[in-house]
Amino acid sequence: MRWLIFACLNVIRNRRRSLLTVMIAAIAMAAILVGSGFALFTYHSLAQKAARDDGNLIITNPHFFVKIAEHPLQYGLDHFDGLRSKLLQDNDVRAVLPRIHFSGLVSNGDKTSTFIGLGVEPDEFRVKGPFLDLLAGKVLNGKQGKDGLPEVVMAKGLARSMNVKPGDGITLLSTTTDGALNAIDFVVRGVYSTGVPALDNRQLYVNLDTAQSLLATKKISTLSVYLFDIGKTAEKLTRYQKLLPRLLVTPWWKHAFYYHSVRSLYNRIFGLLGIILVLLVFFSISNTMSMTVTERTREIGTMSAMGASRSEIIRNFVFESAFIGGVGSILGALIAALMNWGLLQLDFQMPPPPGSSQSYPLLIEFSVPLAVAVGLTLTLVCILAALNAAHRGCRMSVTDALSHV
Amino acid sequence: MLRFDHLCKSYRTGPTEVHALRGVSGSIPAGASVALCGPSGSGKTTLLNICGLLDPSYTGELYLNDRKVPTDARARTRMRRDRIGFIFQCYNLIPVMTAFENVEYPLLMLGLSKAERYKRVAEMIDGVGLAKHACLRPDQLSGGQQQRVAIARALVKQPKLVIADEPTANLDTATAHQVIDLMRDLGREVGSTFLIATHDPRMTGRCDRVCTLHDGLLAEDQDALENESTVCGPKEAVCAG
Ligand SMILES: Nc1ncnc2c1ncn2[C@@H]1O[C@H](COP(=O)(O)OP(=O)(O)O)[C@@H](O)[C@H]1O
Ligand SMILES: [Mg+2]
Repeated sequence: MRWLIFACLNVIRNRRRSLLTVMIAAIAMAAILVGSGFALFTYHSLAQKAARDDGNLIITNPHFFVKIAEHPLQYGLDHFDGLRSKLLQDNDVRAVLPRIHFSGLVSNGDKTSTFIGLGVEPDEFRVKGPFLDLLAGKVLNGKQGKDGLPEVVMAKGLARSMNVKPGDGITLLSTTTDGALNAIDFVVRGVYSTGVPALDNRQLYVNLDTAQSLLATKKISTLSVYLFDIGKTAEKLTRYQKLLPRLLVTPWWKHAFYYHSVRSLYNRIFGLLGIILVLLVFFSISNTMSMTVTERTREIGTMSAMGASRSEIIRNFVFESAFIGGVGSILGALIAALMNWGLLQLDFQMPPPPGSSQSYPLLIEFSVPLAVAVGLTLTLVCILAALNAAHRGCRMSVTDALSHV
Repeated sequence: MLRFDHLCKSYRTGPTEVHALRGVSGSIPAGASVALCGPSGSGKTTLLNICGLLDPSYTGELYLNDRKVPTDARARTRMRRDRIGFIFQCYNLIPVMTAFENVEYPLLMLGLSKAERYKRVAEMIDGVGLAKHACLRPDQLSGGQQQRVAIARALVKQPKLVIADEPTANLDTATAHQVIDLMRDLGREVGSTFLIATHDPRMTGRCDRVCTLHDGLLAEDQDALENESTVCGPKEAVCAG
């Protein structure tokens, strides 16, 4: 304790220089926390988005993702109603949504194009919230449209190339499960944007039962389980794998390619940034400490004349440096927390990330364990710098140190 | 107590070599105080540094308590900590410590109990007449007061040997007198052996013995050298080597 007090007093002795060094450590700490806080926020929102798109867990036929089907829904699920009601008994489960993935041709009579279709229940739009940016018309409600025709909502690029708007008619063609060709007339109910240009040119949504009649089947492709808490995904995964040995249960992260690529990109960017900042702190504290050591050469000489061991002398400088690093880290954490709060108040919008056309709010997450870890790292770096500087300072002979001016 | 034989030491700065000590011999009985006089540059500091185990690079023999001093750096540090006190010309107090803490520091290194430390430090501070200033830091004390703290710091561990390099050079006459008297009185109480470099006549008058250094040789040695002038050559050769 007494040596900590002496260390503080020594730090205060050269106020300007110490303050400068503390500020450098604080700014580095704040920059690392803000950068990684932004990355964390992005990871979490992408994870939420991925889990919202396809469900926390996807239940499929074991061959669904690996084998190429010879005809539609060859590897689909049959008789899913029993399974669905069983899963819904769990209080953690928010919804269980069946889905059909299919493809075919879409025609307006003059022009034909390929499409990627999704057959969904109307609950899809309620459970997933506003996941589509509706540009015109409405989303599906499970009922038939005018003239008793089934309804479709189309992505904006596809709607433009088909030259349709809500209320217009369109024909979808697809192969049935037994290989025949089938066509059904639809009414366009809405036009939307996904935010992903590649999808906007191809995608459409129809009601699950119309998709089934187009493909002439009672099967579905996947059963998506939505949980109230994304944190429980791993726990449910193991439960379901035991419960459903004949089916494949896939968690959201297995298919969240975008999430993973953003994550590895950001990890690299912010990791590099972090390393640069830590190096910066190392060099600036090294500089401060070697100046301090040089200034106090005579003091070092006096102490070792009186019989202080080298490690006792070095320890004093280590305490000083750790003090600077610790104060800087705490200050930096406060700055980051303040920025976190400020951004919440201000509501900045970030430009769309690559491959997307939607902007999103700039927020940063303040993670206490991360702040502690970064603070400890910075303090450790300060200690290393002090060890280095003090070691060099102690190499001088006692007599030279004593006659140092 | 302290005995040295044919101490030689030379400094090399660039091409020139300075023979700071050229074969100095002598002995100091326990409890005695010896003033080392001589003009500036005569080698006083050099001799004191060797006798205080601060400087390991010399030729010749040095005995402390009839035992040859160790060459191992750790053992020398331990010996300085346990047996030798230092008083410097520029006081060299630790700036962040109060007068009390400065005096306590050597005892802390010896690992004494808190109660024992407090008793000894209080006595010592009282002895140098600074009881009222115990809580002040060096920059709040005058030069004379700082040197008195330094004396207390050197003597508090009751060292066998006290090395003082021009302890009064930075002080005015009145203060110097006080400091000299303090050193002598407290030194006698503790029973330490004193080796004091000085060219202060006030100081030399109060010491048991006065030796004079001249160009790296003690006056006695110089007489001996003049008598047996043949020895001079080899002696200098030893120093150079
Ligand atoms: N570190 C050093 N490097 C080179 N020469 C030195 C050094 N220290 C002392 N000397 C030389 O050694 C001689 C003796 O010096 P010193 O012992 O300091 O004398 P004093 O203390 O009597 O004034 C002087 O000529 C001085 O120039
Ligand atoms: Mg000198």
